[in-house]
Amino acid sequence: MLITQLKSKETIASLVDGKKVFVINCHGCKEVHFPEKEAVELEKELAADGKLTGVITTDYICNPDNMKLRLEKHMSEIEAADVVLVLSCGVGVQTIAEYFEEKKVCAACDTYPLPGYQGVTPLEYDCDQCGECYLNLTGGICPITACSKSLVNGQCGGSKNGKCEVDGDMECGWERIYRRLAQLGRLDVLKCPTQIRNFATDDEVSK
Amino acid sequence: MTRAGKHKICESIDKEGEQLENYTKYKLKEHDELVSVLADKDNLFIIACNKCFKEFETIDEPDCGEFEKIVAEQGKNVVGTAKVDFLCNKVQTEKKLQDMIPDGAENIFVISCGLGIQTVADLAGKPVFAASNSLNYTGHHGMALTKKSCDACAQCYLNITGGICPIVDCSKSLVNGQCGGAKNGKCEVDGEKDCAWEKIYRRLEKQGRLQEFLDQPVQVRDYSKVNFKVVQDYVKSIRENRLDGYYGGVHPSERKEFSEHLALERFPEPQTVVIPLSQHAGAPANPIVQVGDTVKVGQKIGEAAAFISSPIHSSVSGKVIAIEPRPHATRGECLSVVIQSDGKNTLHESVKPNKDLDSLTPDEIVDIVREAGIVGMGGAGFPTAVKLKPAKPVDTILLNGCECEPLLTADHRVLLEFADDVIYGLKAIIKTVGAEKGIIVIEDNKPDAIELLQAKTADISDIEVVVAKTKYPQGAEKMLIKRVMGRQVPRGGLPADVGCVVSNISTTKAISDAIQKGMPLIERVVTVTGEKIKKPGNYIVKIGTNVKDLIDYCGGVTDEDVTIKSGGPMMGFDLPNVNVPIMKGSNGIIAIETDHTVEEACIKCGRCVDVCPMELSPLYFAKYADEQNWQGMKDKNVMDCIECRCCEYICSSKIPLVSKIKAGKSAVREMK
Amino acid sequence: MKITELFERGEFVVSAEVGPPKGIHIEHLLEEAKTYLSGITAVNVTDNQSSVMRLGSLATCKALKDEGLTPIFQITCRDRNRIALQSDILSAAMLGIENLLLLTGDHTKMGDHPQAKPVFDLDSVSLIHTVKKLEEGEDLGGNKLVGEPPKFAKGAVVSPCSDSVDSQLAKMERKVRAGADYFQTQAVYEPEKFIKFMEKAKQFGKPVQLGIVIPKSAGMAKYMNDNVAGIHVPQEMIDELKKDKEKTKAGITGVEIAARIIKECKPYCQGVHIMALGWESKVPELLKQAGI
Repeated sequence: MLITQLKSKETIASLVDGKKVFVINCHGCKEVHFPEKEAVELEKELAADGKLTGVITTDYICNPDNMKLRLEKHMSEIEAADVVLVLSCGVGVQTIAEYFEEKKVCAACDTYPLPGYQGVTPLEYDCDQCGECYLNLTGGICPITACSKSLVNGQCGGSKNGKCEVDGDMECGWERIYRRLAQLGRLDVLKCPTQIRNFATDDEVSK
Repeated sequence: MTRAGKHKICESIDKEGEQLENYTKYKLKEHDELVSVLADKDNLFIIACNKCFKEFETIDEPDCGEFEKIVAEQGKNVVGTAKVDFLCNKVQTEKKLQDMIPDGAENIFVISCGLGIQTVADLAGKPVFAASNSLNYTGHHGMALTKKSCDACAQCYLNITGGICPIVDCSKSLVNGQCGGAKNGKCEVDGEKDCAWEKIYRRLEKQGRLQEFLDQPVQVRDYSKVNFKVVQDYVKSIRENRLDGYYGGVHPSERKEFSEHLALERFPEPQTVVIPLSQHAGAPANPIVQVGDTVKVGQKIGEAAAFISSPIHSSVSGKVIAIEPRPHATRGECLSVVIQSDGKNTLHESVKPNKDLDSLTPDEIVDIVREAGIVGMGGAGFPTAVKLKPAKPVDTILLNGCECEPLLTADHRVLLEFADDVIYGLKAIIKTVGAEKGIIVIEDNKPDAIELLQAKTADISDIEVVVAKTKYPQGAEKMLIKRVMGRQVPRGGLPADVGCVVSNISTTKAISDAIQKGMPLIERVVTVTGEKIKKPGNYIVKIGTNVKDLIDYCGGVTDEDVTIKSGGPMMGFDLPNVNVPIMKGSNGIIAIETDHTVEEACIKCGRCVDVCPMELSPLYFAKYADEQNWQGMKDKNVMDCIECRCCEYICSSKIPLVSKIKAGKSAVREMK
Repeated sequence: MKITELFERGEFVVSAEVGPPKGIHIEHLLEEAKTYLSGITAVNVTDNQSSVMRLGSLATCKALKDEGLTPIFQITCRDRNRIALQSDILSAAMLGIENLLLLTGDHTKMGDHPQAKPVFDLDSVSLIHTVKKLEEGEDLGGNKLVGEPPKFAKGAVVSPCSDSVDSQLAKMERKVRAGADYFQTQAVYEPEKFIKFMEKAKQFGKPVQLGIVIPKSAGMAKYMNDNVAGIHVPQEMIDELKKDKEKTKAGITGVEIAARIIKECKPYCQGVHIMALGWESKVPELLKQAGI
């Protein structure tokens, strides 16, 4: 589950320049952002130029089995096109690209990560799946995601008025952690050994 | 944020020949680490999440047993344990936690991914510890459980790589070509893995796009593109939307532009009408005419058969040519009165205006409504007269002008073209139930209706217009009451339990017609629309008119690959046979593209739980229905389901949840 | 020479800071350093300060050392992973640079290459730990170094006038535990806060150098108040700077203020670190006024 944003008008224009186009829209995972209005605009423009051979607007295009069933209905329109333009996250584009190995499949969107996609739809929490959960040292606030620099030994000193140096609207993650620990009477956990991240844990952990 | 390219941790389960990836969300921490975390802690409460994005099974995760073993080994006292689905679902977890943790618990250990741990840490008010590490698996987003990957780099490179992702598939995430480290086409980091750039080269070669690749400018990644502020704002807004007014709900594409601007048009006089004697909840009406009888417009032709029932009236003047079972939209066949119209539309003598509203008593109004055969016209068909005599005191009447179903615009047009009648009807309801006020609730996607009704009610002290942010299923009684009044209808209860009566727009207009004109319910507004209808529109249609005639009048359908439904795309039902009559509850006839997808195994993504406005766990209904575990369905409160279809709409595995739920409901009813 | 040796001898250690240019011509920097900073103990060389790409810190340190000054090599975790960091630290030792200041570093978004990938493989605490391990003859991967291990004076920073002093102290403690030998502070304008901080920081038994940025003007003070972490210039001080309108007197008030702060704080700290930000020429006058 990811967020997509339409690429710039110029980029899309260069992708479809002078070509016949078939468009596949993915509504994302339904509640996830899909540039619906922009997509309709784009289709109108293409249709006006006589370049549009067909459109599919659907959901979960990353499901290869169900997508195959849908694509089969539109084969002649797709065959008439030079380019299949996919408005979806990168997963969807790759699903289509794999299906049409010999056809040019283009991504019309850029994909942004969405915190909390691991669980149910977008959440307030984020987990970077670092494989070495630090929450025991931080009173249950994730330093990997709550700190812009993912620091694991305390704040960087760059926060101003409790706000992150990178984003003035974001609270310093380590300020929050310190407050939480103080509240829980657990400041002693800060005396833990120096933490050094292990960026290669997955394989070991999975054993 | 640094996001290292990591390996996907999953195992494949062979399920009926299909590969279902099982994504391990978390893994218990190492024994030694757990022992040291446990060292100075006692009186533990253990919460484990039942994991997600995996084959849906109802067994305990092995990690829980393992952890309990370690705890026992360390001689710690466990005051309790709990296993929870989707621990990261904050709203539901908060409710569950309320009476979960016993007083004696001093330390809470959570076995979950980082999301679940953070949720509990935020809510518990006691020290919370992680007993597990979340595991990383790159790119199972979207539908999940596929092997496709996307690292969400915010600068999609797929256009220059033939649709193979260089960020995920290349160990070094190189964007300008291979590193030269590949040996026999395999990656230097992982000998099992094909070099991504070899794959890209081959694909581009196949498509004759090598020159295009060579001509690309040098690619330099822009790491500032992943703007977490945008992401965070987005997440905040989507959470707010999801929880706005009431839990859950969805925002399907409205597609009302097909017909919302089209003024009401009277459908041409039908030659024959087929009027079913059952168009409402409760007992079918008993016919009181015979074949060969001459009938007039508004003449009663069927008498209510019970307290929960409704009379039926003729919508034309003409001759009864048959009283026999005829195809019915929901009941297969149903006893119907078939009338051949004489085209004259002669009014029956009984159709005459009543006294004015001020002179009528509440009981008189109830009688008028009952005799006019008025039932809920939103689809449920509950006799309105019964609703107007609530068993409990009611202070507020909610007029449901949400029309949250996609495509449908019937109520919208009625509001615009019969605003005075709707207001009159509302006044009648207020008077009948002795309410203090009436509220007309309109979704913010109908600004013209809002403006008009606001103007028309400005001088009416006990009627106000409330604008509600669009969300489906806002028009469902319980959601509407929660959103507008902040009141929660109790489980199995009725709106009157919280002092409300909810009425549909067309129904309210029908009440006005019954009082002011003495006209029973013999016609209604129907939206005929959908991307497959050639000429969409909003029509005033006589009850008993053939649906096929209606569709033909609208130019027919664009092609054969079409699904016709009565009602909207969400709560409407399929009409495999369009040779059925329009009924009191037929608010729309839609022709939409057929869904050719097939049901796949549940991947436990949790989205159905997230969207269910009744806060149920629909995934269990699907599983239990397949197992015919009706008791299990009952225990999971299947009877509370309002069949809004949000779960089915959001389901990434395309599981027909509502039909499974319906099967479960009827099985549970039989258990009693 | 390691500046820790001076702290041990009880000397009041004075250091200043220079920023390498964006380019390869370092003559001006060396000239200024020789002219104005030769009288002080050591010179910090910043590492792509504020995430703005410049000439390297290590090369500049070497050039300063060749001119007879004692450089302090500043290293941030923003631009290098643990392999590059350890390698650069060994290089410093090989070049005879013995003083380090180990920092996390500003985020890449703050500088002139906001598109860059921020590294932060290690952070300040783990970097100190890493240097300590190198000193013990082992790298972070647990592999033995060949021959005699390097020895450094491992410096770290702390922000005594930060909004939340408690969490600063906690972080300072972590740095001490990881092996920090001495501290330089963020610029101080509120001596009473600094003194309070030092009362608590005393327990760690590590020397602390008071950080000083000469306030050039009221505008600069206000800018720092709005934008720089851990700095607060009191209103009286800003008013004082405002009065300093006459061009000929420009800077004099700032130097006076800085000298006053040093005098007030001197009994509570073990040194002073001056971040002149282009006003290297005023350093001798400042030290004179402060009585050092």
